[in-house]
Order: sequence, then C-alpha cells, then structure tokens
Amino acid sequence: MLAKRGTPSWNPQTRRVIEERLAINPDEHRFLADAEWLTLKAVCARIVPQPPERARPAPIAAMIDRKLAANGSDGYRDTRLPPLREAWHRALRALDAEARALRSCPFRDLGCTDQDALLGSVQKGEAHDPSWGDMPPQLFFAKRLLHDALSAYYADPHAWNEIGFGGPASPRGYVRMNYDRRDPWEASEAHPGRGARALRENERVGRR
Amino acid sequence: MRDSATAIEAARRLALSAALLAGSVLTDSAIEHYRGSFRNRAMYTPLASAALAVGAGLLAMCDPRPAPHRGRSAVNTVAAAVGLAGLGFHIYNVTKRPGGVSWLNLFYAAPLGAPTALTFAGALGWSAEQLRAQPARGSARLFGMQAHQALAAISAAGLIGTAAEAALLHFRGAYHNPAMVLPVTAPPVGAALLAWSVCSPAPKPRGLARMWLKLTAFLGFAGAGFHAYGVSRNMGGWRNWRQNLLNGPPIPAPPAFTALALSGLAALLLRGDRS
Amino acid sequence: MSDGASASPRATNGCAPDVFRVGGWVPMRAHADDEEVDFAIVGTGAGGGTLACKLAEYGFSVVAFDAGAYWRPLEDFASDEHHQAKLYWTDERLVDGEDPLQLGSNNSGKSVGGSTVHFAMVSLRFRPEWFRARTALGYGADWPLDWREMWRYYAEVERALTISGPVRYPWGPKRPRYPYRPHELNAAALALAQGAEALGIAWAPTPLATLSAPRGHAHPCVYRGMCVIGCSTNAKQSVLVTWLPRALEAGAEIRDLAMVGKVEHDARGRVTGVHYQRQGQWRFQRARNVVVAGYAIETPRLLLNSASSRFPQGLGNSSGLVGRNLMVQSNQAVWGVMEREVRAYKGPPSLAISEHWNYCDEGKDFFGGYCYMSQGPLPVVWAGTQAKRGLWGHRLLDEMELYNHQVGLKIVGECLPQERNGVTLTDIKDQYGLPIPRITYSYCDNDRRLIRHALGFMRRSLEAVDAREIWDETDDTCHLNGTARMGDDPATSVVNADCRSWDVPNLWICDGSVFPTVGGVNPSLTIQAIACRTADRIKALAARAEL
Repeated sequence: MLAKRGTPSWNPQTRRVIEERLAINPDEHRFLADAEWLTLKAVCARIVPQPPERARPAPIAAMIDRKLAANGSDGYRDTRLPPLREAWHRALRALDAEARALRSCPFRDLGCTDQDALLGSVQKGEAHDPSWGDMPPQLFFAKRLLHDALSAYYADPHAWNEIGFGGPASPRGYVRMNYDRRDPWEASEAHPGRGARALRENERVGRR
Repeated sequence: MRDSATAIEAARRLALSAALLAGSVLTDSAIEHYRGSFRNRAMYTPLASAALAVGAGLLAMCDPRPAPHRGRSAVNTVAAAVGLAGLGFHIYNVTKRPGGVSWLNLFYAAPLGAPTALTFAGALGWSAEQLRAQPARGSARLFGMQAHQALAAISAAGLIGTAAEAALLHFRGAYHNPAMVLPVTAPPVGAALLAWSVCSPAPKPRGLARMWLKLTAFLGFAGAGFHAYGVSRNMGGWRNWRQNLLNGPPIPAPPAFTALALSGLAALLLRGDRS
Repeated sequence: MSDGASASPRATNGCAPDVFRVGGWVPMRAHADDEEVDFAIVGTGAGGGTLACKLAEYGFSVVAFDAGAYWRPLEDFASDEHHQAKLYWTDERLVDGEDPLQLGSNNSGKSVGGSTVHFAMVSLRFRPEWFRARTALGYGADWPLDWREMWRYYAEVERALTISGPVRYPWGPKRPRYPYRPHELNAAALALAQGAEALGIAWAPTPLATLSAPRGHAHPCVYRGMCVIGCSTNAKQSVLVTWLPRALEAGAEIRDLAMVGKVEHDARGRVTGVHYQRQGQWRFQRARNVVVAGYAIETPRLLLNSASSRFPQGLGNSSGLVGRNLMVQSNQAVWGVMEREVRAYKGPPSLAISEHWNYCDEGKDFFGGYCYMSQGPLPVVWAGTQAKRGLWGHRLLDEMELYNHQVGLKIVGECLPQERNGVTLTDIKDQYGLPIPRITYSYCDNDRRLIRHALGFMRRSLEAVDAREIWDETDDTCHLNGTARMGDDPATSVVNADCRSWDVPNLWICDGSVFPTVGGVNPSLTIQAIACRTADRIKALAARAEL
C-alpha cells in the first residue's frame, strides 16, 4: 500500500494527509489523564487486537485522544449519551471500577480473557457499576467505543492492507471492475497455498 | 507485361493494407485482452495470428515475384479463421452477461467488429497472394468474381462495418466532440463511391472514389491522433497511462480505416482508369 | 491539519475559485452588505445553488450564503475517509426518538454545493402518481404540483447535470434520452442484475450524475469509488461544478464560510435581509427576498431561530409545521459473501438499480415504494456496518478480511410523513452562539412493513447469486425531507406550490424541506427540478409585479 505512494494512485493531498497520520505517535496522549490513557490503550487493544509483530501499530488510542482534545463531533449525539468528553471520561472510569470489583486491579492489569468478558458485559448492558451514571453502557459501547475505535483503525493504511482494500485512487482509479479481476496496481489476495505467489505479485504491484 | 506489373502492384498494395489492418488488430487486441486479463487462454491467439499476418504482409510488400507464396497464404487463411472464431467468442461474451444483447453490453462487452477486422486482414492478405499469378484487367478473378469487384466488395463491407463499430462506440461517448461524426459518415460514403465506380463504366465515379478513399485513409491516422488527444485529456493524462490507455479511446483502432481505404484504392487500380 | 478552504473564505474580493483549473479564479460580482439585493439565498446545495444560478441567469441580483467551505476538488480532495469528514455537517446536533437518526456523513453536507458534494449521484425521477399520493394511492399527502410540469423540469436538470443513464429506462412514462450513456457495471452491480433476472424483475444501470465521457473541462469518471467522500476528478456533477459556475458567470455572488443565523423582518412582516457570521464577525445583508435552502434540518432551525415578537412560533410558521413531518428514507441492506472476488469499492457505489417495487403495488402490505441498488462501501463505513452486528475483536478482524468478497443490496425506501417526527430547538449553543437542533424520529408500522418486505426480497436476490452468510443491516436511513412542506392550504403547509411562504410574501424555501411525501427514490433530482420551477415562477411573478 505505502509502496504506491509515488504512483498516480496517490495525489499530493492524499500524501500529505497520510504522512500526517503515519506521524502520529501511538504512545503520545494530550488530553486524557495517565490512568485513563492506559485504560483506553488496553480497551483499544481488545477491540482491535493488532498483530504483535506489526512494527508500527495503528495509533487507535492516540487518535481517540486527539478527537477528545479537539472535542470533535460526528454531527449527531444520541440524547441518552452525554457529550463526547464526558462520555469517555465516565466510561474509562467505570471500566476501571468494574475491573476492581472483579479482580481488585485496574482494567489494564486484567488478563485478556477477563478484559474481553468485561467488555462483553458492557456490550450486553450487563455492567452495573454506579460510575456509569445514567449513561447506558451498551449504548456507549455501540455508539461511542466501537464507532470511535473502528473509525480510527480503518483510517490506517495497515488496516487497508489487511482487508485488501485498493487504497487511495486519484488520479488513477480502476479499470477492471468485473468479478475476480485485479487491476495491475492492486494487491493480490494471499489465499492458503498461494501466499508466495501473492507476495511476488504484490512486490510488482508496489512498483506500478 | 503491363497487366502483370499492375497485378503485382495491386498485390503489394493489398499486402500493405493487410499488414496495416493486422497491425491495428494486433495492437488493439493486445491492449483489450490485457484489459481482460487474458482470462481465457484463447485470448492470446489473435495476438499471435495478427503478428504473423503483419509479418506476412510486410514480406509480401517487398516481394516482386509473380507467384503466390504458400506460407503467407496459409498465415492469412488462418488469420481469417481466427477472426471468425473470435467473433464467436465475442458474441458469446455479449450474450452471456445479464441483459444479453443490450446497449450496455454492446458498449462494454467484447466488441464484435474487432475480430471481424482480423478476418478482413486475412482475406486481403490471401487475395494479395492470389493476385500475383493473375493478369490484371478482365480475367483476374477472386472469390468467383472479377478481382476488382471482389476487392471493392471486401473494402466497402470493411469500411461500413468499421464505421458501424465507430458509430456504436462514439454513441457510447455521446458524440461529445463534433469530430466523432466523421468516422461514421465519411467511410460509408467512400464505400458507396467505391461500389458505384466498380459497377459503372463511366470514369467520373472512379475519380471521386479515389479522392474520397484518400480522404478516408487520412482520416484513419487523424483518428488515431484524436484518440491520443482523448487519452491525454482523461484524468491524470499520460502520467496515468496505465489506466487511460485501457479506459480511454483506442488509439490503434482508427488506422483500420486507412487500411480498408488503401485496399479500396488497390481495387480501383485493378479496375484501371482506361476503359 | 487545517485546510486552507476551512480556515478562511475563498470567495472574496470579487473572485471565486475556478473548480476546473488548479489554482484558477473566476471573477465574481461583489455586493455591499447595505446594497439591497433581489435575493439572499441561504445554502448553495441542490435547492439553493440551482436557484441561485437560474435567478442570476434571469437577471436578478443574487447573494448565496453557505456555512461550508469553497472546495477545489482537484486539489483539496484526498483519497481518505477520515480527512474528508471536512465535507460534512459535523457540528453537534441532538438525536432522539424511538429510532434516533445518524446525521453527519450519513446525510448532511457542509460545503459550497451542499450535500451534492458528497452525494452518491443517483438521479431518479418521481413516479408520477406520487405527486398525488393521497388521491391516487391513498396515503401521505398530495403535492400541489403536476407531474407533467415536473417532467419538463426533470429533463432540464438531467441536461444540466449531463446524467449518464441507460438508453431505455424500464420504468415510468417516456422521458428524453439521458444526455450521456450509462457506466459499465462493476461486480457488485452485476450481482444485482443477475439476482434481478433470476427473480424475473427488471433492472437497469443507475442514472448517475457522473460523466461517462468528457464534458467541458471535467474528466470522465475514473471509477475510484470514493464518490461519497468527494470526487477529486470533477466527473461528479455536483452543484459545485455545474450550477454554481453558471451562477457566477451570470453575476451571482457566493459567500463561503458564511453562517446565516437569523432572517430579519420589518414591522410590516416582510423579511429585510439576513444576519450572517463570516470571519468571526456578525454582518447583515439587505435583501428584497430571502430564500432559505439549508436542507431539512438547518432550514427549520433558521426559521425557528428567527422567531420574534411578531412571529413567536418562528418565521413563516403560522401552520405550526415548520420542523414537523421530518421524513428520512429507509436505507436498510442485505449483505452476503461470495466465493468470487467482488471488490465492490471499485466504481461508483450504486451502479445498478431496480425500481420494480416503486411501480408494482401487487402483494404489498404497505403504502409507498422502494428502489434498491448495489453497494460498494469504503473501509471505515464498512467497519461501522459490521460493528452494527455487534462484532469486535478477532471476530471483527476475521469478518473484515472478507472485504473483497462482500456483496450487498440497499434500499431507498419511502417513509411516511408523521407530525411527531421533526426538528426543535434546544438550549445548547453552538460555536456561532446559535441554539442547536434536536431531531426526533420514529418509524411507523407502515415503514417497518416496507422494510420487512424489502429485506426479504433482497435476501432472495442474493441467494439467487449464491451469496452465503447473508445478514440484514437494519439500522440505517438516508436523506432528510419534509420540515417545511408545500401544499395548497396555509393551515396544513408552510409554503405554496411556488415555494413561497404563506405568511411572509418575500420569504421562500427551496430545498428538500418542502416535500410533502418523500417517494422511493433519492431526492436530489426532484429538489433541483423544484428549484428550476421556482425560478420560472419567480420570473413570471416579477413580470406581473407580484413579487
């Protein structure tokens, strides 16, 4: 994907935008307090478990932190949810509270299974710690947590590679739109047994 | 002597036509079949056959001998057959899509005129060989009729067929540029003039036909120029050649008009301008 | 990163951006604020932008305001969903009701050119009977417009946008041939076509406002599939690259990054101009007429915010219907996975369509109709769709790896007008100091029956093309209409057939808010047709000195 930066598939504006995104430090936070930040990172690691061998993981938590710093909006808020910052503050505190009730440690120190189980109960609306206040946990999970985490993850070129998305496409778009057709500048799918061939093809693709 | 010299001359001009037409098919089918990812192995066949036909045509152009060459004749016969097979494949490609024979599929599925052009190239190349052993006016015969009439018929049919393909694809382009009506109108007029001049004993239509066919020949190259302009004005221009050569107007297609106009002129040469 | 266009206005000092030339400018007539222009238009989208063009071409002096930025698509648009959120109305709005709406990128644009800068270009005509929905079909309300008159205006808009559509359209009365030919189908569209043929119904390549051949300075579509995050090639025939360049040439002025906060009126109850904020300062533009064209949320919001002692319920609201009868269209979908690679993200999202259920009423247990189209969601949108299934963690990542094998069908379905659905004001203030709106929405039983029918039918269509793991996406809507409906009775409507306010003779509303019913097709073509008609009516009224 990134090897195509210099090809007609990427225009200058796209290069600027993606360079800025790739420059985001996954470990830097500007808005959240330290404890909340660590909780957020742990939550994001469960919502989107990135491969540990990835050299530079997609900075999901950092992007959410930036959204909070800018007090960004998607243009609509369910009235059952408090505003963005309040919602996240409350949720991160509540998750730690739930974790302490479970295992007497903050969320980040729980084992993965416990973390997943706790997130699952939040998703099902079965989390009852008073820290949630009048914010329905299942609504926060669906409308804020998943929404913000996934929008951040799938804005990263690594995620595009993972799903086989063709990536940026301007001025050069696509020619072959029929079934089972790849344009010469699109990456090949690595089916089981075809991994080596796909790798070779994709190296050629990067140069197109 | 003079008759056979004219016959050789006509044969060599026909060989040029055949080579040009086969060259147009070779380049066009290479690009289009590449666009189609050579999904079906058979899609390599017209490239090979057209390449051989180009070779045969070039050799025939340089060959002064008054005898048909077996190898070149065979290459041309095969090219004609490959073209017909291609037509069958292309018809299948159109009809198997949702909507079958519909405007949408005629626009975007495999073009019917393109393989037919290979058949015409083979027919012209084969005729060029046959003419070598024959005297010119009067007794030269091809396909069971007088040679110049057969060649005029082939050329006229080719001009009309190619014009029809251009009409379809320019319709797909909504005639967004006024010049797009030229390949739809001029070649059929040339075909009509050609037919008139081989059916009529008068000399006047021959002069008109000759002039119009030369205009049509020029139009073929002008068309390639227009198409190159069309490629360059798509998004990204020449820098985006990987997309624009495939999606833009086909640059190798218009010279088919030049080839067919030249074969029409060769027919007129055989007809002679002395009654 | 701040875009130049979002930071400070570009259409100033007698120049506006030339969207067709990198770094180019076109001259723009400039009016002083205290010059009383003929028309001040709030919003430059499908309604406001079209009307600004037509009125300027008819010789009226026009200033059109837009809260959004004046983009240069060739330079400003990146191939990135996250960055392109700059096209949408992302200022906070509250949503509630039984079925709270998703706004922002879903249906609300904030750009010069309005929501047409990000729309999916689907350009469909109303079924003629819908203009008489109550008398002919027994539901909703009648429009005070005749379909035959609208047919002419549809043709004008289709020509202006150079719609690329099928040579023969399978549904509805005869229409002139679309100016350009249809686009090639991608695999997702082929799946719709194959499914439709298997089920024995008609389908067609979708009439789209994007070029299939060159036109003027605009390039034909390159099939990059990023239409809904902004077309960077100008193939998309948005208002920004069609009506507005014409408007500028005819002498209209466009003011970008200019948020209109209030419409002012005098003691006689006639509007006198608009208060707008630009570059941090509140200003006032005098005008003989004001047209509100902010789409179905901002239009009622502005009218309600313009309440005064004379109009305590809001401007032009004697009927009490400003903000009421909000309609969306159901946008439910059915998705499946195919063995073959589909790569649906290539090409415009909706290349094939069937309007069968807009024209066939047999066997329906609901009023109204729907069309359905093929889909090609981009990664972030697709992840959001998967999230609606409740997927996260490894289950989500595994599902997302099937991205290139996804195929889907999505409806644009008619929802009935209900007075309980609508836009009201809250006490929360936005960055301009204006009260933000609350949007309340709930489906009715008819809406749910239509959705059920559509999901069942689309499922059968996907089964017919051997898609597996088929599932229903039930939480999605599109478009916004109805909050200032037109009618022939001032008690039950806000504007008349000419889009003129019943209460205030020099106040006009020209956008999707005026729809009494919403039909089963995307509204953009109809909004633009109404704007063309309104311009003609204004010209006629002016000639008779009735303005």
